[in-house]
Amino acid sequence: MAVEATQTRPRPLLCGDAAERDAAGNVVLVGGRCADCGARAFPRSPVCTGCMSENIVAERLPRRGTLYAFSSVHIAPKKWKKPMRIGYVDLEGDVRVFTHLAGGEFSIGDEVEVDIGAVGEDEAGPIECFVFKRVPK
Amino acid sequence: MNGVSVVGVGMIPFGKYPEVNIVDLGWPAVKAALKDAGIDGKRIEAVYSGTSRGGAMTGQRIMGRLGLAGLPIVNVENACSSSSSAMAQAVLAVGSGAYDVVLVIGVEKLSKYGGGTLPMDEDDWEIGLGLTMPALYAMRASRYIHDYGLTLEQLAGVSVKNRKNGALNPDAQMKKPVTIEEVLASRMVSEPFTLLQCCPTGDGAAAIVLASDKVAKQIRQDAVRVRASHLTSGRFMTGFRDMTSPEITVRGAKETFEEAGLGPEDIDVAEVHDAFSIAELLYYEAFGFCPRGEAPHMLTSGATSLGGRIPVNPSGGLLAKGHPVGATGAAQIVEIVRQLRGEAGARQVEGARVGLTHATGGGISGFDHGACSIHIFQR
Ligand SMILES: [Zn+2]
Repeated sequence: MAVEATQTRPRPLLCGDAAERDAAGNVVLVGGRCADCGARAFPRSPVCTGCMSENIVAERLPRRGTLYAFSSVHIAPKKWKKPMRIGYVDLEGDVRVFTHLAGGEFSIGDEVEVDIGAVGEDEAGPIECFVFKRVPK
Repeated sequence: MNGVSVVGVGMIPFGKYPEVNIVDLGWPAVKAALKDAGIDGKRIEAVYSGTSRGGAMTGQRIMGRLGLAGLPIVNVENACSSSSSAMAQAVLAVGSGAYDVVLVIGVEKLSKYGGGTLPMDEDDWEIGLGLTMPALYAMRASRYIHDYGLTLEQLAGVSVKNRKNGALNPDAQMKKPVTIEEVLASRMVSEPFTLLQCCPTGDGAAAIVLASDKVAKQIRQDAVRVRASHLTSGRFMTGFRDMTSPEITVRGAKETFEEAGLGPEDIDVAEVHDAFSIAELLYYEAFGFCPRGEAPHMLTSGATSLGGRIPVNPSGGLLAKGHPVGATGAAQIVEIVRQLRGEAGARQVEGARVGLTHATGGGISGFDHGACSIHIFQR
């Protein structure tokens, strides 16, 4: 019974619970904020790198950020979509996110917004994860 | 700290040895280093053996093969800095007075993985999401191009210089010189890197015999002194990080120069961690060999070529000599010791007195690199 239940449930995102949808249906990343010192992290960790507190609360991150650096990757493990566009995005609050980039060409400094997309495929089917897309200027 | 000197070095030519197991890669390098030192293996009091992918007890297996086990042997894993980290431990051990003669080994066999990018630990957040080592360095390059106007031709020039040096090194894995056109026309790996801007994977081993200054004088007249031996880890950062200025090497360089009482202007020859073309340029600046943003000019001016002001990677570096991860740091030291003893043949840096080695690596989320070990040597 349990096996059947997991088979019919949609495959979890590659990033697990680090991304979710808000009330309006928009994708948001969920990071961690230390309730003692305020330090932020993505992904959230059970312990704070600022003060070693374990008092970490989940916190939704800004949906938009700035592309810091990127590459189109042509040689990588088979499961990833090629070319695999990846980059670092800086969000307000001094959080840097490693991410796949979806759709079109990119330039450093682009304003980008989080969404969910397919980043690869393996035996179990498409691999979905949070991605960032360019915000039209 | 007591003074520490290098009294013997040895290595096997880097390359692909799919039929040879890691133990049989390692022992010839040890035997060569002992022969170079001209001492009996029984004089070794402790061993520090670095490998990243070699598996458990690699040092014991190699020393056992030579009939030299039965002494303290420490195995060190620190990714690309494994054997340079082993060296740092060995220098501490001799410097503290605990031992007079110790051995450092660096050994790796990557041909067991076949081709392609080196498999990484998918438990790491960014690796699990798809980050590869070429992609990480490629992002540094993309940002450097954006910030400082580096051209693709200049970037390719790093490979051209190092392959030219490698052609003069009998121990190099890649001995064929290449042109800028060939570099740019090779297969795209991770933009802007083509294949010839990525270090090859391969196998190799290198070994170093260290002695206290007191004993070194009895072993040989031209022992090379260790002026500074430094090891650090990267700082974990969850937010902004300037990817054109790797903090681990900038901080490591500053502390190493302080320890040596020297500055970048005192270095005659350097072996730096050019895993990908951009890396060598970033390290010119991190070590202060030139100001920020001027590395492309420093390269194209010929200052870092053989015959220039400060030749960098005369061995061919990781790009041409090869990068059997855990063996790299020890092999850099072999090269610098040979340079300082005037034994580097066609790639000899004339009159080199002070040399530097730099091995850094370990691609893990939140760090520029996991580890960085820098050494300065003087003849
Ligand atoms: Zn805290």
